[in-house]
Amino acid sequence: MMLSHLFGLFSNPQQEWQKIRDENCTIGKCYCSYVFLLAAIPPVSGYFGTTLFGWEIGAREAVKLSPDSALVIAIAYYLVMLIGVFSMGFVIHWMGKTYGAEQPLPRCISLAAYVATPMFLVGIFELLPILWLNFVVGLPALAYTVYLLYSGVPIMMGIPEERGFLFSSAVLAVGLVALVSALAATAILWGSGFAPQFVD
Amino acid sequence: MNDTSMTYNDTVVRQFSIMTVVWGIVGMTVGVLIAAQMAWPVLNFDTPWLTFGRLRPLHTNAVVFAFGGSALFATSYYVVQRTCHTRLFAPALAQFTFWGWTLVILLAAITLPLGYTSSKEYAELEWPIDLLITVVWVSYAVVFFGTLAKRKVRHIYVANWFFGSFILTVAMLHVVNSAALPVSMLKSYSAYSGVQDAMVQWWYGHNAVGFFLTAGFLGIMYYFIPKQAERPVYSYRLSVVHFWALAFTYIWAGPHHLHYTALPDWTQSLGMVFSLILLAPSWGGMINGIMTLSGAWEKLRSDPILKFLIVSVSFYGMSTFEGPMMAIKTVNALSHYTDWTIGHVHSGALGWVAFISIGAMYFLIPRLFGVEIYSKRLIETHFWIATIGVVLYITSMWISGIMQGLMWRAFNSDGTLTYSFVESVQAMHPFYIVRFLGGSLFLTGMLIMAYNIYRTVSSGKAVATVVSAPAAAH
Repeated sequence: MMLSHLFGLFSNPQQEWQKIRDENCTIGKCYCSYVFLLAAIPPVSGYFGTTLFGWEIGAREAVKLSPDSALVIAIAYYLVMLIGVFSMGFVIHWMGKTYGAEQPLPRCISLAAYVATPMFLVGIFELLPILWLNFVVGLPALAYTVYLLYSGVPIMMGIPEERGFLFSSAVLAVGLVALVSALAATAILWGSGFAPQFVD
Repeated sequence: MNDTSMTYNDTVVRQFSIMTVVWGIVGMTVGVLIAAQMAWPVLNFDTPWLTFGRLRPLHTNAVVFAFGGSALFATSYYVVQRTCHTRLFAPALAQFTFWGWTLVILLAAITLPLGYTSSKEYAELEWPIDLLITVVWVSYAVVFFGTLAKRKVRHIYVANWFFGSFILTVAMLHVVNSAALPVSMLKSYSAYSGVQDAMVQWWYGHNAVGFFLTAGFLGIMYYFIPKQAERPVYSYRLSVVHFWALAFTYIWAGPHHLHYTALPDWTQSLGMVFSLILLAPSWGGMINGIMTLSGAWEKLRSDPILKFLIVSVSFYGMSTFEGPMMAIKTVNALSHYTDWTIGHVHSGALGWVAFISIGAMYFLIPRLFGVEIYSKRLIETHFWIATIGVVLYITSMWISGIMQGLMWRAFNSDGTLTYSFVESVQAMHPFYIVRFLGGSLFLTGMLIMAYNIYRTVSSGKAVATVVSAPAAAH
């Protein structure tokens, strides 16, 4: 079923994680029924937000991106998220041994996919690309993502909570490193002539 | 056997430990004030000594040298005695380092707000204070290496290698960088000129980070993490390899502070390459710390100190990855002079340095006063408040930094700049408020710690610990 776990992750996360675990989803099914759809929210919103509405700085008229440029960015954005979910799942799978939690790869990938749910959903606000607004709504989403991670790891990986705390912290550290890499990669691309095209 | 009846000299350790908490609060209070001034400039109150320019060096000196320095003195004196199975060498000199260091901090707190500065970053103090620092630091070296020399075991534990390299390198950095020609008691000119001065400044500045804020705190990590986790270091071989790699590599990384300046281009590229190489030894230390802690998960339920240690090592890993990324010239072209740098510094300073110091103090102080900590629950509260504070601080600075960088470099089709500087300042406002909140949370955590420590210390009394006999030779 499409998006079947979406509401449960907010209403009763502990129980929902149990259900996700019991489901034993394959990678393909996890992507088709969940990731492909939800990961599209931020890039699609971002595309319309930056081309139609734009953002204002100070008392100037709104800055907008050209549709071509925004499309390239939106596609790259979408791909980065699809690859990101898989990579995080792979890292969780790989680190499992250290934390005495060897689980099949598909389960680790569903863990990564479902943890990211709040970040995918909050992407809808990119329709209004106002930086401080996105920051303000992004923070609670981020906090809930972290909560889902810490509550999901012990259940999905089948380890005690204390051990899960260490595991989750390691996953979080990897996530931060990935985020910094994305920042640096963006800065390098931007500085190498791949800057977006603005509408004057 | 007269030796075994001797006790460790913990008086100086107690003094520095308590002052770590006190200076932490002082330094972070100044930090929160200047963060508030960035958001609401009216908080300058039109008073010269309350302005950002005067208080910023006071903040950095107070947190780095007063808070961080006290933590390093306390832990190194504690660790070197325990791992060498001997009493501290030259106790009177050790006492002198405490009062001398305190005097340096007080003089800094007076001269910096009055505007007396050498204008060298992280080395703002004028020459008479620099001389006092040199005397105190040489005394510190004599006490530390004297204790090592009279050790009762042949092996020198790796934490002491880190402490030792930190003491030696900081001595060298301080003397070379502070070389100056005095013109009066409160004014001097640097011995170097132009780009050489900048190069020496950042050779000093980056190694202040590399040796004061990294090597010394790795020394703390290598003693207190195995102690608290009650497990041996994950890989002792790795600790020795990454020690030498770190000591060799760090010293070359300074030029990345001077990308796209008058510094010769090859020097900049050299600094960038060494900064990238530095990732390997840094992560060697992180992996060793994380893996040592990983086996101690059963203790996590009853031991909130472990959480501080875990998060500190994670932040160490994250910021030592971020650093090399920011040293890449193309990234630096965007990030330099923006708040991204401020965020990076604080993920290291709050997330790594402060967290591991706090963890070490929660370990040390109850032991030094022969009691249990007053409240474990308050340690837990402190942990969560501080973590949220760091996260708010870093995320707000990332966003405002990148935004600044992009706004400053944006230009129109006719080549004129798109934004004026003040427009970028205006755009920063919401993020400066969030940064202020993050800093306030971190400071609140320190106040909770101070209360917890106060209750702990007042219920105990200074205890003398007998020097433990070394285990049988292996």
